[in-house]
Amino acid sequence: MACEYQFLNTSNEINSPKQFSDKVSEDQTELICIQHVFWHADKQLILDDISFTIRKGSFTGLLGPNGAGKSSLLRCLYRYIKPDLGSIKFNQQDIWQHYGAYQYAQDIAVVLQESPSNFNLTVYDVVALGLVPHKGLFTREEASDKDKIACAIEQVGLSNKTQQNFEHLSGGEKQRALIARAIVQSPSLLIMDEPTSHLDVRYQIQVMELAKSLGITVIASFHDLNLASAMCDQLLVLDKGKLVEQGTPTEVITSEMLSNVFGVCAKVTTHTQHQVPHISYFYGYDIESSDNSDSRESEGTHD
Amino acid sequence: MILKVQITATVEKVKVLMTKMNHSLAIVLTLFFGLISFIAALSLGAADISFADVVSSLLASFSAEKEASSVLFFERIIWELRMPRAILAFLAGCGLAVSGLILQTVTRNPLADPYLFGISSGASLGVVISIVLLGSTISLVTPVAAFAGSLVAMLMLLMIAGRRQSQQVESMLLAGVALSFLFSSFTSLLLYHTDPQAVTAVLFWTMGSFSRAQWDTLWFPAIVIIGCVIVMLAYRRQLNAMLLGDESATTLGINVNRFRLIMLVLSSLITATLVSLCGGIGFVGLMIPHIVRFFVSQGTTSGIMLTALVGGVFMIWVDVLSRIVLENQELPVGVITSAVGSLFFLSLLYFRKNKA
Repeated sequence: MACEYQFLNTSNEINSPKQFSDKVSEDQTELICIQHVFWHADKQLILDDISFTIRKGSFTGLLGPNGAGKSSLLRCLYRYIKPDLGSIKFNQQDIWQHYGAYQYAQDIAVVLQESPSNFNLTVYDVVALGLVPHKGLFTREEASDKDKIACAIEQVGLSNKTQQNFEHLSGGEKQRALIARAIVQSPSLLIMDEPTSHLDVRYQIQVMELAKSLGITVIASFHDLNLASAMCDQLLVLDKGKLVEQGTPTEVITSEMLSNVFGVCAKVTTHTQHQVPHISYFYGYDIESSDNSDSRESEGTHD
Repeated sequence: MILKVQITATVEKVKVLMTKMNHSLAIVLTLFFGLISFIAALSLGAADISFADVVSSLLASFSAEKEASSVLFFERIIWELRMPRAILAFLAGCGLAVSGLILQTVTRNPLADPYLFGISSGASLGVVISIVLLGSTISLVTPVAAFAGSLVAMLMLLMIAGRRQSQQVESMLLAGVALSFLFSSFTSLLLYHTDPQAVTAVLFWTMGSFSRAQWDTLWFPAIVIIGCVIVMLAYRRQLNAMLLGDESATTLGINVNRFRLIMLVLSSLITATLVSLCGGIGFVGLMIPHIVRFFVSQGTTSGIMLTALVGGVFMIWVDVLSRIVLENQELPVGVITSAVGSLFFLSLLYFRKNKA
């Protein structure tokens, strides 16, 4: 079946990071603008004065060790939690003052680690949930909606599993089905919280390339720094609730950052094929005592 | 072992059939079986009336012709006794199944059941208070007292679940169980100090029966259950979205806590209405959604409608069984549903264990 739907006038043509960067540079408009966001929970400051912007069409990676505040920041972005202070603007409008819940969900799709409870939902049912923000209470699913769902399922390569129980899919297939649900939501921003956790290398690359191929603005949190470096146009690094680094992968991924934020010794070289920073970790080094000296001496590093 | 293989093979065959078959066709077939069941419910009982007599009596009611006295006698049994009873049984089955489906979905707990939330215990307490205060089981007072007791239980549950929004599901389930025990203890205390006749009356009431079905009270459960099913169908997408998890449902624009409370009110209203008219009928709300879900995805409109229809048809047959199992005596409906429900539960555990 030929897909009739395309996203925001983009297509699957954007494959390599370089091509994507070229596309982004054509449109510099801000989609998200976060200014001085603070949020605390249980008397502990989780987000501490966070400010950054995200351009339309960019792929932004959110990095940081466990407990750095990545998920909390994403939650603020998709309106699950309201910051104590600061403003979050989407298309120059405050997300809490200007948008209603359904209206915001029409623009922003979120793929989380949560998986549907096992109530025998089929892949089609899960993907069809993307219609929720767009449909009124008594409106029926029209032929165009069914086409849209079928198209999204086809786009993620699950056409042969449409009527299969969601619970019986592999981890990668589940993630792809959830991305298909996000596609049906027709968003202009896709937020993904650790989309590649629990996936093997093949599925990690598959899921990320799929997200990238949508051609919409994406912000995703990562634990795999090499994957983030290869896929993202912009990286944000959080540590203890503060935004400590932001910029292109080349600017952000440095041995110094890895040592300071993640507490690991690593050598950063340039990936020969993709021309992006590539990290090689050293094992058995005590970062406190060795003072990171060895890792930053090699040729081709980015610090 | 052979039986298990056969059952599994049959279930798979039906699943494949249901997948291939249009869901609308499944609804039509269930409706057709429901019609047959309905006629059977009018035919079977202490006075044996043939299918032909039932059909002719039903047809005669639409014509102005006068019939023989024997037919008039059958007509009276059919129209005044069995018809309202069968309708109430059908409504109760629909309502409890839908109520169970709602609760299982919004709590994402496959074990959730309308009676788990203390609604039934609240109704029992209401009935016992009315008996203790008024000294007898006046036909109109009992359902009103039961309904009032259910509403009190529902309001208490809503207050507790509404207050702790961050852990709403856990609060709902734990508060429901706690309220259930609280009401049961008050009921036991009151029964301990009342006369044995009242104890028997309350005991019979708690085991459930459709014998109190009357034409002039049927409008109430009909309106409540049809209304709630319509609201549920309208919210079907939001209900399914709740299965994704609270956070994902929020990202789809749903105010999760408010939606869960609305669904809790809906489910409680159905349960309170049915408990007040039929007494306690356990396990139906737990069992029917599971059975239907086994064959049809609940994510579809037809899945919800099939759950309601299968619940209704199941309850018609439970009522028939309750009237014909013992000669000249009626078995409480709750006894049959509990027995069938327990067997269902054990078989579910058995199959799940083998599957794992």
